[in-house]
Amino acid sequence: MGFPTAPLVTIAFKDLAKSNAASRGMPLERICFTPHPVWGKTDAEMYAYLEGNDPVSGKPLMKEITDALTQPLTADEKKTGSFDVSTGPPTYTDTADALQQYYLDNGMTDFMQIVLPTDERLAAMLKGTSHKPDEIVGKMSPARGSYPDWQFTVKQVAINAVMAGAKPEYLPTILAIAETGLTSLSSSTNSFATAAVINGPVRDTLNMNYGIGAMGPFAQPNAAIGRAWTMLSRNLSNSGIPGQTYLGTLGNGVNYNNLIIAENEKNSPWPSFSVQKGFKPEENVVSVFVGFSISQGQGGIGLGVKPVPQYDQAIAYNCIPFGPLFNALIVLDPLVAQGLVELGYKSKEQLAEWLQKNQTISAKNARSTLFAQRWVPDPKTPDDQMIPYYQKADAYNFVVVGGQTNPYHMVANMSYRVSISIDKWA
Amino acid sequence: MLSLLGVSPALLAGASAKAKEKSSSTVAPVASAKITALNPKGLPPPVQLVPMAPRLASLDGKTIFLVSDGFPGADHFLAQVGLWFQKNMPSVKTEYRLKAGQFADDDPKLNAEIKASGNAVIMAIGH
Repeated sequence: MGFPTAPLVTIAFKDLAKSNAASRGMPLERICFTPHPVWGKTDAEMYAYLEGNDPVSGKPLMKEITDALTQPLTADEKKTGSFDVSTGPPTYTDTADALQQYYLDNGMTDFMQIVLPTDERLAAMLKGTSHKPDEIVGKMSPARGSYPDWQFTVKQVAINAVMAGAKPEYLPTILAIAETGLTSLSSSTNSFATAAVINGPVRDTLNMNYGIGAMGPFAQPNAAIGRAWTMLSRNLSNSGIPGQTYLGTLGNGVNYNNLIIAENEKNSPWPSFSVQKGFKPEENVVSVFVGFSISQGQGGIGLGVKPVPQYDQAIAYNCIPFGPLFNALIVLDPLVAQGLVELGYKSKEQLAEWLQKNQTISAKNARSTLFAQRWVPDPKTPDDQMIPYYQKADAYNFVVVGGQTNPYHMVANMSYRVSISIDKWA
Repeated sequence: MLSLLGVSPALLAGASAKAKEKSSSTVAPVASAKITALNPKGLPPPVQLVPMAPRLASLDGKTIFLVSDGFPGADHFLAQVGLWFQKNMPSVKTEYRLKAGQFADDDPKLNAEIKASGNAVIMAIGH
């Protein structure tokens, strides 16, 4: 930036701050540390932090800060040039059991057994695509803009696909997910989750499950494609190192293999999600989402109304805990979608418009949330004014999936990011 | 009896008969045989070393910008930093600013302002 700077970071982010400074070219950056947390502390408690010691160096914090701005630079701090970062040897040789342990101990897995990626298995996997092994697929980081992007090739994606237990025919879908550049292991303290909606004939070609238990562990393509997303996020973008590139305080079980949603197109009364995004029904497409997580809809008001439950009311009710950091992904069993048609919703867009108008929060309540500035930027807004959760109807996204064993839905506080053609990776 | 009812015994056992057949014919791998497996890592960019900006000889009479990147609590914490300077180094002038954009975004407008009217920055990051 061109002027002396003293970064001030809470101790909980020590490893992240130091490793990130190093990967951005300032390994000796004079980072000063405070106790953790700062958020929620009184003014007096925060002032006491300043009068105390830096918990890393043990020296008085404010002296550390003033020294960071005034002590002359050392020769090492003035260094220029560049160096490569090693990610280890190209291969590892040992017994199968020892290799399993090695991959696990070195953070290359999801802490479950993998399929060891041998040359033979890689060659078989690469038959799933016509693309050359050394072609660059894309880039990814644990949080875009906060960490350096890593690049990756078709071969590297295929190695991770092998490890996840994928079949070669799944590879184009996995390559499309990789191309989105969206990690499934976001570094955020929020413990984010990700979802991939899959549309087109590939759902049947691969025997994906979009019926009973569609989002559960009941079909190999759903399971392996989802697991591959986490495996490649870990290995191709350096995501998922606790304390350094992963800070989710609670973690999220969805990260094991993510929400893989093959839309139940044949039982949906509406056009598919990818068609809404401008693709043709015969095109194979993956669309990715990121956000807080997913929760059940059974407690929604209006679901007990007869003869047709008030699904619109229930969805609006279930979305009350949503924060405006992310949009809405509503997952509907085909029976719910049919019920919504009976209520008069001829399209997903019509339902989105109703929700945008009717899902509201009072300015008073909005001001008490973590997201006050986003919801009520104007201090003159009266407390009793009702504010829409989202300014635009397209914040609401709908996907129809499930086995019609009961008319249930789920709601996810997640935002749509991008749709990528699977066919281009075939 | 179960088959008379149209129910496979395997269904109640929780596993398919097909799966059982397969596992019984699997040959156990030789545990001591060595195999070679591939490194699954991607390609990190090379690190370009960035020299730090020259430091100040002293903070006396200087203006320090206290910059929040927007994480919760950073604004209140930086207010206390300002108070500390007021009490302990009163010749130092402090200016609070909230950096524009998301946490990791650059803010060229603010950088230009600091270059024009400031001497140093304390940037608060974290929760």
